[in-house]
Amino acid sequence: MDINEFIEKFAEIFEDTDRAEFQADTKFKELDEWSSIMALNVIAMVDDEYDVLLKGDDIRGSETITQLFEIVKSRK
Amino acid sequence: MAFFKVGNVAVKGISACVSKNTEENLSLPFYSSLEEAQKMIFATGIQRRHITPKNLTASDLGFKASEKLLDSLGWEKSSVDLLAVCTQNPDYINHPDSFVIHDKLGLGENTMCLDFFHGCPGWVTSLSSVCSMIQGGMIRRAVLIAGDTVTRDNDPSNKETRPLFGEAVTATALEFQENAPEMFFNSGTLSSEGKALILKNGGYKNPYNFETLKYDLDRKAGKLSASEVDDKMDSMDVFSFAISKVPKAVKKLCAEFAVNIENIDFFTFHQANKLILENIAKRLKICIDRVPMSLKNYGNTTSASIPLTLVSECGKILSNSHKRHIVCGFGTGLSWGAAYFETENIVCPDVVEI
Repeated sequence: MDINEFIEKFAEIFEDTDRAEFQADTKFKELDEWSSIMALNVIAMVDDEYDVLLKGDDIRGSETITQLFEIVKSRK
Repeated sequence: MAFFKVGNVAVKGISACVSKNTEENLSLPFYSSLEEAQKMIFATGIQRRHITPKNLTASDLGFKASEKLLDSLGWEKSSVDLLAVCTQNPDYINHPDSFVIHDKLGLGENTMCLDFFHGCPGWVTSLSSVCSMIQGGMIRRAVLIAGDTVTRDNDPSNKETRPLFGEAVTATALEFQENAPEMFFNSGTLSSEGKALILKNGGYKNPYNFETLKYDLDRKAGKLSASEVDDKMDSMDVFSFAISKVPKAVKKLCAEFAVNIENIDFFTFHQANKLILENIAKRLKICIDRVPMSLKNYGNTTSASIPLTLVSECGKILSNSHKRHIVCGFGTGLSWGAAYFETENIVCPDVVEI
């Protein structure tokens, strides 16, 4: 699993946020476009692309994109 | 895996009843901007919901729905052998709602009453039980009532639940019919993960005391801040559960009973929200046109949502043609139930508004 590919797929979910704002250490919940709906889109993307089913606690427990990436990676 | 099939039972009609009173999601008090409300409506697909006024209960809606159904079918009351009710909002905590509705309908002493206590998957689960009872041919006619007045238990200041839930009660008529096409069922349970949806107080485990009663009354009146409320639905967990379990349940049903997914006319899922239904459709690789949705005008109507959607979105078509259906209810438990059945020229009166 590649972190850059993960960031790319993560960024694709967002419509109004500039691609440059998505970095490994981006605190995604602080983005203006972040919402409870976006959280569901992230869960769907991870299930689609990585066949890993995230739970609410995984999203709540992650601050940066890297932290989320590590959770997904550990369950592959 | 609980798979089973039922023969000799036909769905004869479906009806639904809602209150005339609606709540528009665009004008909910907690959105900071029109844009925020519009985004929520776009993602959930829910514009408005029918909310039953306090002087009416689920049994009133169930009575109206079944009265309309019996009239439309021309079924004599004395011909109903079984009245089944699936609700989580009975009139009384110690008196099954089927007796209340039996009395309102004026049914006779030869009608058996049966209750199911279940939420969103409840219509499919109770349908499977009722159909199993009919298939022997002794019970020939049954009416299955399903639905809730769910918003009464919810916190009106909760931005996650209030825009979603609406209220409706449905009635489904089932009849013994030799050589009717077989119905297939598949149900599953994941009880260890169902605790997020539990209302903790007021049952026999945690009977109300002054403190918990006050807490619940304040919560239902929207007087508590988000940090004071501890029993919140985890929408992320529900989403995760739904998009993974529902497509699998449908695929397993089709595999077990050799159902060709291409031959299905309507895939009617529990109306949780648009985002969930779109994701389920995508995972099943089916066109969204084959997935009826009543979300726009009714929202998530718990155990009524599948039969309500069949009435409100497909009623005209179902009343003059033969259709093959797959349905799947999911949620409460956590549990799920998928079913395959066929309908032919069934009675589907317009949704009754009272």
